[in-house]
Amino acid sequence: MMDVMEEVLHAETNGTKGGRSDTVDLNDSSLQVDISDALSEREKVKFTVHTKTTLAEYTKPEFSVVRQHEEFIWLHDRFDENEDYAGFIIPPPPPRPDFDASREKLQKLGEGEGSMTKEEFNKMKQELEAEYLATFKKTVAMHEVFLTRLAQHPIFRNDHNFKVFLEYEQDLSVRSKNKKEKVEGLIKNFNKTTDELLLSATQKDVDEYFEKEKGFLLEYHMAIKDSTAKADRMTRCHKNVADSYIKLSSGLSQLGAIEGPRFEKFVNKVSEAFEKGRKVEGRVASDEDLKLSDSLRYYMRDTSAAKDLLYRRLRCLANYEQANKNLDRARAKNKDVHAGCFVQMAELAQQNACEKFEQMSEKAKEELTDFKMRRVAAFKKNLVELAELELKHAKAQVQLQKNCLQSLEEEC
Amino acid sequence: MADSREPPPLFDDDDSRKDDENDDLFTSAVQSPVSEGGSLTPTVEEDVEKPGEQTDPLSDSPPEAAAHSTIQAQPSDSTSSPLFSQSPSLPRADTPPMTSEPVDLFESCSLGGNDSEDVTPTAVGPMTAGQEQEVSLDDNDDTGIFQSTAAPKLQLNQDSFESPVPPASSVLPPMGAPLSPPVVAVVNPSIASSHATASIMPTPVEPTLTTRTQSTTEQNDNEKKDEFIEITVTDPQKIGDGMGAYMAYKVTTKTNISYFRKQHWSVMRRFSDFLGLHSKLVEKHLHSGRIVPPAPQKSAIGTTKIKLGSDKSAESSIEFIEKRRAALERYMNRTAAHPTLRGDPDFREFVELDAELPRATQTSALSSAGVLRLFNRVGETVNKMTFKMDESDQWFEEKTQQIESLDNQLHKLHASLEGLVNYRRELAISTAIFAKSVAVLSSVEEHSALSRALHQLSEAEERIHTIHNAQADADYFHMAETTKDYIALIAAVKDVFHERVKAFQMWQHSQQMLAKKREAKAKAELVAKPDKIQQAQAEVTEWETKVERSQEEFERISKAIKKEIDQFEIIRVKDFKETLVKYLEALMTSQQQIIKVWETFIPEAKAIV
Repeated sequence: MMDVMEEVLHAETNGTKGGRSDTVDLNDSSLQVDISDALSEREKVKFTVHTKTTLAEYTKPEFSVVRQHEEFIWLHDRFDENEDYAGFIIPPPPPRPDFDASREKLQKLGEGEGSMTKEEFNKMKQELEAEYLATFKKTVAMHEVFLTRLAQHPIFRNDHNFKVFLEYEQDLSVRSKNKKEKVEGLIKNFNKTTDELLLSATQKDVDEYFEKEKGFLLEYHMAIKDSTAKADRMTRCHKNVADSYIKLSSGLSQLGAIEGPRFEKFVNKVSEAFEKGRKVEGRVASDEDLKLSDSLRYYMRDTSAAKDLLYRRLRCLANYEQANKNLDRARAKNKDVHAGCFVQMAELAQQNACEKFEQMSEKAKEELTDFKMRRVAAFKKNLVELAELELKHAKAQVQLQKNCLQSLEEEC
Repeated sequence: MADSREPPPLFDDDDSRKDDENDDLFTSAVQSPVSEGGSLTPTVEEDVEKPGEQTDPLSDSPPEAAAHSTIQAQPSDSTSSPLFSQSPSLPRADTPPMTSEPVDLFESCSLGGNDSEDVTPTAVGPMTAGQEQEVSLDDNDDTGIFQSTAAPKLQLNQDSFESPVPPASSVLPPMGAPLSPPVVAVVNPSIASSHATASIMPTPVEPTLTTRTQSTTEQNDNEKKDEFIEITVTDPQKIGDGMGAYMAYKVTTKTNISYFRKQHWSVMRRFSDFLGLHSKLVEKHLHSGRIVPPAPQKSAIGTTKIKLGSDKSAESSIEFIEKRRAALERYMNRTAAHPTLRGDPDFREFVELDAELPRATQTSALSSAGVLRLFNRVGETVNKMTFKMDESDQWFEEKTQQIESLDNQLHKLHASLEGLVNYRRELAISTAIFAKSVAVLSSVEEHSALSRALHQLSEAEERIHTIHNAQADADYFHMAETTKDYIALIAAVKDVFHERVKAFQMWQHSQQMLAKKREAKAKAELVAKPDKIQQAQAEVTEWETKVERSQEEFERISKAIKKEIDQFEIIRVKDFKETLVKYLEALMTSQQQIIKVWETFIPEAKAIV
């Protein structure tokens, strides 16, 4: 099944490439990155990253490498840690490919095989495969968006690590964090959060704009996180409804078999209608998922990244103010010439901090405005598409039911 | 005994007969086995009429013909006509009249070979059914069936006349034997769809018994041709307080049946009254092989909610009351649709009596009657499991199996329907929650156009939530409840089948007793004690009569059941079809509403700058 998935995916990816990177502006074509292929093996998914470039730094104009999810995370971490990029919103990393739900369902299906009729079993298997395919497509899309955003960013695209990621033909031998590192990572996170809280409580921002932005982002982040969760739940319920149509459909056709000729055709027609209806409902659910839940989720992460930016800036500001204080203290302490070097050092430190802070503020402003624009555009696009798709599906359902009713009337 | 009887010989082809004439026919009819042109048993009368019809041009007479059949009641012409139009070549399923008409009839109405078989059985049918007023298949549906049957007959008329005779004759002799096989063969699959039930099994029961009833039945049938009775249950009201509280429902009846005093009136009844009615009807009619529609079940939880809840209490008790009200309405209408049951005095009293009915204490679980019933039920269940009836009638065997598998299937279907309803309600709830969350998001969003669009999205989802809820209700009330009703009805059918088994058991038992008594007599003769011989002789005679009677009873019940089942099947199929259609329509409506919602949303979304 996995291989079949992969092939299907390949065909699909080629067709829908454009659609995925809808959060990124693809105007600049000097460096184009996409995921041309993906293969799912057991626990891992292998992505084929394909690059087309006109930039001189790269050795070849077109090439492909195979990357795994962990390597994407590695790349993201490199960006995250890099102080030079402190003023930018680092694109959120793609989520781990999660096939657990599908795997669970597959198991349940296998266990329940005895109790279902053959058709029911086949139908459920089909639907499970469709679900698996959808999850697969989604994860590929997420990874691709991540890369494209990096490629489009004027600064990020020139990053050395990025180049290595795209070009280096062999395995980057990035092992995922072992236990120790995971624990370290957790502690770091924890520290960061407390620091953030502390800063937000104590540090006053000189700039009104940033103060406002911070407030907005915090609130927004919470609201969007909530919406994402609820949207997910709604989509799941929708899927359940679509799935229960299968049972209904097969129950009806069995009833028809028992009833015999006088009722059978009638019932079979209804049963077919339900079967088709299920497919449409299923698609409604998955479209909802794609357009609504996913965009909400993406922007939740992006908002989180923006928050991180602000945090970094705030930290920088704190450092700057700290450096100022140090300078003053140094100056106060060392009135005589001998201690001049201390003062100088302090001065230097202060200057650095100042520069850094100001640069960061500028960049941050840009990034935030950019973020807003992107967000609005993406939401608009997705909402319009969502509505249009829902409309299309509802119309299809109506048509289906009309046809069924008509043929039933003829039958009677 | 009964077997040797043949359907009364034919009547004269009297084309001019109308339904009313049935009465005469019936009154004069007697089951005279095999007398050509002799006294006609009621059935024969029917047959006579039927042939008459048949000779008429198909187009006009079918309804009449159908109506005439003793078995069915008259449905409105309208019902019959569609049937006719659809299947002119309907196999004659239940042409009782046909059968009774001996050769003459056959000549006149060119029955196909198939039909003749049907004819015979049906002829006998009404006769045996006669005991009670039955003919009950007065349902409108019945008429339909008959009409369909009629149609073929008519058609046959026009066809060649040769074939009928031989088949007819071939049919007549085996009257006594269970006619199931022939009848079954008769039913044409092609016509199957609505007329499946047409095959009326002939019952080789003594015609004599039924004569009297026949006439009345015929009369009743005729009367009921245009009958209509509709019952609605409304206005649930809580009466009383605390533990003594109960719900009273207003039962409104609209009818044009003559034996009711008014045409339109209402009475107040409480739930235990309904249960009381049901148990009385079961007592009276179950052993004659009628399928008595089951009443809605008692529910301890629901009742407690009513008793203890406040006036405008929680949604759950409102839902419960609504469910119960709808179930009671369906129950009343099903019972009223059964011609015999609706003529029952208890039913009439229930529907008509203006005052409060005497408390049906027997329905409460803890009364002595209740406990007695429990014991009976246990005994019966054991009986059902242990006694294996020697089934000679293939029709019954098939039907039993079919009923079993239908039962299983309906259970499964019901389970999946309940699953669907639950999921949909969950979907409605989660959509509502999502809508609220989006509203919050929209208030936080600083970009005004996006905020507006998100707000619109929230409203759209809110509306969709309502639509989903409504759809879940439709799912529930249309499909799930109907399926549940049918599961209960099938249980009632099984009960009826079991009655037949009991009748068979009794017959067997009396046969055994007879054999014993005969042995005793033989022994007494050996010993040559005159008084003992006399006594033994008396006993033998006594048991002989008992055997006869129990056999009659058995055959009668078998016949009645067959009729009932046929009718039941038709109604069931029709009902289910209607339900499915209604359900699909409901689905369609919700989708159309969803379309409207999204259509309003799209321009808003596009307006985001």
